[in-house]
Amino acid sequence: MTRRVVVTGMGGVCATGANVAEFWENSKKGVCGVTRRTIGPADDLAVTAPVAPVDGFESRLAELGRDAQRADRFAQFAIAAADEAFADSGATIDEALSARTAVIIGTGIGGQMTSDQSYFTMIRQGRRPHPLSILKIIPNAPASHLAIRFGARGPAFAISSACASGAHSIGVCADLIRSGAAEQGFAGAAEAILTYGALTAWKVMHIMSDELCRPFSKNRKGLVIGEGAGVLFLEEYERARRRGARIHAEIVGFGMNADGKDMINPDVNGAASAMKLALNDIRIADPGAVYVNAHGTGTLLNDPTETKAIRETFGADADKLIVSSTKSMHGHLLGAAGGIEAIAAIMALKDNVAPPTINLDEPDPACDLDYAPNEAKPRKFDLAVSNSFAFGGLNAVLAFAKV
Amino acid sequence: MADIESALLEIVKEHAVGLAGELSRDTPVADLGIDSFAVVEIIYEVEEKLGIEVPFNANENPLEGMKTVGDLIDAVKKLAAPK
Repeated sequence: MTRRVVVTGMGGVCATGANVAEFWENSKKGVCGVTRRTIGPADDLAVTAPVAPVDGFESRLAELGRDAQRADRFAQFAIAAADEAFADSGATIDEALSARTAVIIGTGIGGQMTSDQSYFTMIRQGRRPHPLSILKIIPNAPASHLAIRFGARGPAFAISSACASGAHSIGVCADLIRSGAAEQGFAGAAEAILTYGALTAWKVMHIMSDELCRPFSKNRKGLVIGEGAGVLFLEEYERARRRGARIHAEIVGFGMNADGKDMINPDVNGAASAMKLALNDIRIADPGAVYVNAHGTGTLLNDPTETKAIRETFGADADKLIVSSTKSMHGHLLGAAGGIEAIAAIMALKDNVAPPTINLDEPDPACDLDYAPNEAKPRKFDLAVSNSFAFGGLNAVLAFAKV
Repeated sequence: MADIESALLEIVKEHAVGLAGELSRDTPVADLGIDSFAVVEIIYEVEEKLGIEVPFNANENPLEGMKTVGDLIDAVKKLAAPK
């Protein structure tokens, strides 16, 4: 018999919310988390750009404890999100379950803030870096911290697939539970790269907006980088049901593939194939009850390509869907995008409201779906899809349904 | 050598999360609540502040065999002594 996997806990932090409740309220209201900041360690090493930062997070470090205080910001985000997800789940990790609890937390980059700080210390100040720099930088730091924090001794590692890291991590963790390699687990991703080094590197790529993020709008100018984490607590369905858990949603589909074509440019066929793989086993009774949380970066190429891919996947039904990009509000969390956006998709499904795509003020003939422009759209949903299409052509798509 | 003692006490104090009461030469090392991270940090700070190099492998516990903070201070003094 096929094992089913459900989401029983959610935790998130991003520019528009310190937790899931605040994030979701702001998402429905269309609150924009984008602001212009000058970031850098010195006057001559500073970059000014629109970003979507998490403000005030430092005040939470005391409650997160000593290990968290000695971690890089991306791991701190993961710890805060995991604490929230675990408390939300009401689950336990006893001795018997410990070795059956997985921790799959992805990231696009890893400890960028520590990395930047280390090079600044060495090159500018002529001093040795902090002795824990390596332990802060390694991409598996969040997975390791969570394994220690929660006494989880099952499969634990980081997945890195740029902007698809979060979706890959959730999908792979669900597969581990489905296959019997684990009973439950933490799944998601974290990112914190608002540094001089990283932002300068993004800037020279000429793919960042110099103002707001306007997915699917004709006047879109690129992406806006955000930061944060999104973590889900996943459980095998029968176990969750037996313990009387409150179930947010079931993971009913996961599709992943590679374009195998280009490092920068997205591909309609690759994206459409990933969506089809995710929807393979699903009978969609009412396409009007489907919400798609788009990858929707607001770059010139992604948005029309994703639109075409959605059309290829859903055919004539594409016009009945609601597709929105919450990146317009919380920015692009890069590796963590799939984590926070999975939460947006699940909340849309639970709450029967599609969050809006904000800043969409100029329709683009090449982007011709219903993007819930600027205002949330109430609709009874049966299925929520979350798209993640990464640089390097790596795609991961998740599908969630009510239980 | 008195400088080393006060510098070291200050460094250890900063990392001794488990400590209740005053820190002195007689404080048992076991009471300091120092974990693997803190050991690495303490050694780095000792090296930076005192300009010495502590021969140490992070997979070994250099505090092993040291009963009190006094033992720790004496070990560092030995390292800092002119050869």
